[in-house]
Amino acid sequence: MTIQEHPQDTYITLVPHGELDANSSVHLDERIQALIEQGQVNIHIDGADIQYISSAGLGVFVSYLDEVAEQGGKFVLSSLRESVRDVFVILGLDQLDNLIIVERTEDVPAHF
Amino acid sequence: MRMKAYLRVRCNKAYLATIRDFVKSRLADLEITGPISNQIVLAVDEACANCMIHQHQCDNYSTIEVVIYREDSTLYTEIKDTGKAFPLHEYQPQQVSDIIQSRGKGGMGISLIHKIMDEIEVQERRDYYVYKLGKHLGKTSTPLA
Repeated sequence: MTIQEHPQDTYITLVPHGELDANSSVHLDERIQALIEQGQVNIHIDGADIQYISSAGLGVFVSYLDEVAEQGGKFVLSSLRESVRDVFVILGLDQLDNLIIVERTEDVPAHF
Repeated sequence: MRMKAYLRVRCNKAYLATIRDFVKSRLADLEITGPISNQIVLAVDEACANCMIHQHQCDNYSTIEVVIYREDSTLYTEIKDTGKAFPLHEYQPQQVSDIIQSRGKGGMGISLIHKIMDEIEVQERRDYYVYKLGKHLGKTSTPLA
């Protein structure tokens, strides 16, 4: 798992490459935790190169949702492949206020 | 005669990708592809990760075995595990809202297994337990929220 970072005006974009399972999701978890500790609570995940996600990968986002919401932030996920998006949908995680899933990176709001 | 495919791996999370590749490949051999294949791969991944992490504490000297076969219109996977039994079939999945409030990372894997698979059974044998997961083919999980 490698992660690219692209700071934007009001949020940061992370681009993870690879699979987010019980073995590999720790890297993204550590990076998101560090960002939140620095006060960066608006996080965009460009998911085009996430090839697979399990509950451990979902846990990376879900475990910080309450903390991020408390500070007025949110996660926006874009460009997820269908098989990855389906995992969020099965658990209803596509219906949350602070975890927004959009079709394309171009659909990410300028301010969120 | 039904053909069974077997894979034995060490209880090391690095082997989860090996298990996924094995399941996906065997499903393709059985002409099971697309979303239903992705969901079965996910459910088996979750069950194996649960065994490795919670029943074996990722002990590299322990192993689990994954078996796949088809009986008529049902695809079965069995995970043979010598660790202590986990009552997977009796587990009551947590609400997502409760998981979010707890700020924890666990609990969703078992929910996924229950939402994806149609049959969940734990069988006790003399020296091991079998977690048997069945999926009725022609049926995929849909959003339940």
